[in-house]
Amino acid sequence: MLDQLEAALRPPKLEMAPYPAKHILLANGETLVVRPASMDEADVLLEIIDPLKTLDRDFYDIVSARLYAELLGWKRHRVRNEYCLVGVINGELAGIVNGRMFDEHHGISYHTLALKRGLRIGAHLFASKMEHHIEYLGQDEVWIVAESPIGHRRWMIEYPLQQKFSIQHELGGAPSWVLTRETYFKARPRLVTGTRPVPEELLACSHPIRKPDLRTMLVQIGDTLEAKL
Amino acid sequence: MEHTVNAAKCMKCGKITYPTHFYCPACGSTDFGAVAVEGEGTLLTFTRAYTLPLDYEDLYLTLGIVEMDQGIRATGQLDIDEPATGIRVLASVGPVRDVDGRTVYGLKFRAV
Amino acid sequence: MRDVAIIGASTTQFGRAQWSLLKLMAEAAHGAITNADLGGRKIDAVYVANMGSARNNRQAGIASALVDRMNLYPAAADTVENGPASGASAVKNGFLAVASGMCDLVLVAGGERMREVNNIEATEFVSFLSHRYAEYIYGITLPALAGMFARLWMNKYGVTSEHLAMVAIKNHSNAMLNPNAHIKMPITMEGILHSPDAEMNNPYIAEPLRFFDCCPVSDGAAAVLLAPAEMAGEFTKKPVIISGFGQATDTQAVHERPDPTVLTAVQIAARKAFDMAGLKPRDISLAELHDAFTILEIAQSEQVGFFPEGTGHIALEKGETQIAGKLPINTSGGLKAKGHPVGATGVSQIVELVFQLRGEAGKRQVKNPKHGFALNFGGFGNNVVATILTKGA
Repeated sequence: MLDQLEAALRPPKLEMAPYPAKHILLANGETLVVRPASMDEADVLLEIIDPLKTLDRDFYDIVSARLYAELLGWKRHRVRNEYCLVGVINGELAGIVNGRMFDEHHGISYHTLALKRGLRIGAHLFASKMEHHIEYLGQDEVWIVAESPIGHRRWMIEYPLQQKFSIQHELGGAPSWVLTRETYFKARPRLVTGTRPVPEELLACSHPIRKPDLRTMLVQIGDTLEAKL
Repeated sequence: MEHTVNAAKCMKCGKITYPTHFYCPACGSTDFGAVAVEGEGTLLTFTRAYTLPLDYEDLYLTLGIVEMDQGIRATGQLDIDEPATGIRVLASVGPVRDVDGRTVYGLKFRAV
Repeated sequence: MRDVAIIGASTTQFGRAQWSLLKLMAEAAHGAITNADLGGRKIDAVYVANMGSARNNRQAGIASALVDRMNLYPAAADTVENGPASGASAVKNGFLAVASGMCDLVLVAGGERMREVNNIEATEFVSFLSHRYAEYIYGITLPALAGMFARLWMNKYGVTSEHLAMVAIKNHSNAMLNPNAHIKMPITMEGILHSPDAEMNNPYIAEPLRFFDCCPVSDGAAAVLLAPAEMAGEFTKKPVIISGFGQATDTQAVHERPDPTVLTAVQIAARKAFDMAGLKPRDISLAELHDAFTILEIAQSEQVGFFPEGTGHIALEKGETQIAGKLPINTSGGLKAKGHPVGATGVSQIVELVFQLRGEAGKRQVKNPKHGFALNFGGFGNNVVATILTKGA
């Protein structure tokens, strides 16, 4: 029995349509499964993100710290209508995206975190997130900001997003950029890929989420020279 | 203000070069007069370039090399949705880039 | 002229450095110096290849700075800037200093730290190589020039996107065998071209060239140590002789070339190098070509004389350019996957040939190579240096 105070602290929920899993063949021949994360996977996600919160490289620190807080909020029922999608390769976590429904018609994009770089996993996952808001949650628009200037430039120009500076984005109050249904469907053939349904065996492979080796992950993300100098 | 893009016409042998060189590639003379790059030409090759310098906010720029009927070739921007090699194009001069906050004018080609 | 030998060679790992350009170059230089046994002999001159330290790293006078960083005074020091061909140009200058008798021990170090700025700025900085008034002002970048070149080449010779992808796949797979390569990731034809997801995995950069047709932006440094061939035995058991150099220039604006698919400077530079070495293309055991874009490996493999016109892609298709093939090309992974720190590239191509000729190339070792060929391509082919190295006696 949930006590009454706890119940009052939990924001009310809207009904959210599930995101149907899909699979994407990557440049290196591996298969990325994109699927919703379940709340009981929050702990492993938190554990994986944790060491990235201090990684001062391409805004990984701020993205990881905020994503950590958002996932914790999700786990503790302190965020309204949040969802989280994961990208998994051979069972290993390759990336996370999340967001929430502001109301029935408007979505808020939170974060995109790629743990494996050079394979456009961030781009695939961001596209999946837009797909979720527009096609499955059935929303009219998604509010977006980017923490990294290059990420910002890429999304603004690639989709392209429109300015809606009258709205302060939930992430720090930055002026929002907007993906509308119309721009989404125009960009869709170019940017949204993947195959459904995911064969059962492949889907089973994406459970449970395995942690990437920390050192390999850090070298990957930093794209740094391993040799000691 | 009217903008033009100039090629160099050798005052000795009449050869037109673009861009300008100090010595005429045909006769070695150093005496040139300006002649505008203008008129029609044929599209030799083109690309849609997506990774652009920061001062562009377009998804891509269409760039091409044109064989001008004047007997020179020129590189420029194409205002053509679906370019194809061998099509006929017409040159005009318009804004092509912002360099240090100033608008730079250059060749733009459209289909004829 | 005296014969000149390479008595030491070294490279840093390529990728993204978290330390200064000078430290990167010093590490490579130190590797080359300690690779030889100098017995206390001092280095007479230092040539440093670099393109952008003043802009990207806020350090001008990079050769003097390197001498200072390493404590090599009072060695003579010069910076050589020839765009992406700076490396081979610097080796050529070092060669001339030794061959002329002016110097005995010459260090040549090439380095670039491009990742200190973001990728867009790096691309912009490299685009300064184009003609300022006839190309640059239009937003021309090196990928754009390569895209226009590729379209002409593909139409003329029936080269397809698959051929371009084959170059990338081969060079990525070679780089997997090179511990110093930047990109150690296999790629597949399915993943970059044929699957419905490929469009997103491998988007256009400059049509018809895609992401995996272009080299990455890398940091890195490489160095060689030169000495008169007659003295080389004092310093090393495995000298490698510089048997040929050739260099040539061409119009800066690509559109001005009578036939833009003909890379005249490549043809002349290669011919001069072969003439100087007294060799023919068929004598070459392996080659490092300047595959900043996949199309360039195919084009150069023909224009330096390895394959007849219009057949470079066929040789590629048949596997002749793989490590086990008749003429292995870019065993290091090439610029495509080993990486392309512009000032380092030319030196690093030569370092790869040295490793191969000495039989020290590990898992990517070519069988018993005798002569190696390197082509370093500056601008978009407007200043090209070809080098031929021969295994020492």
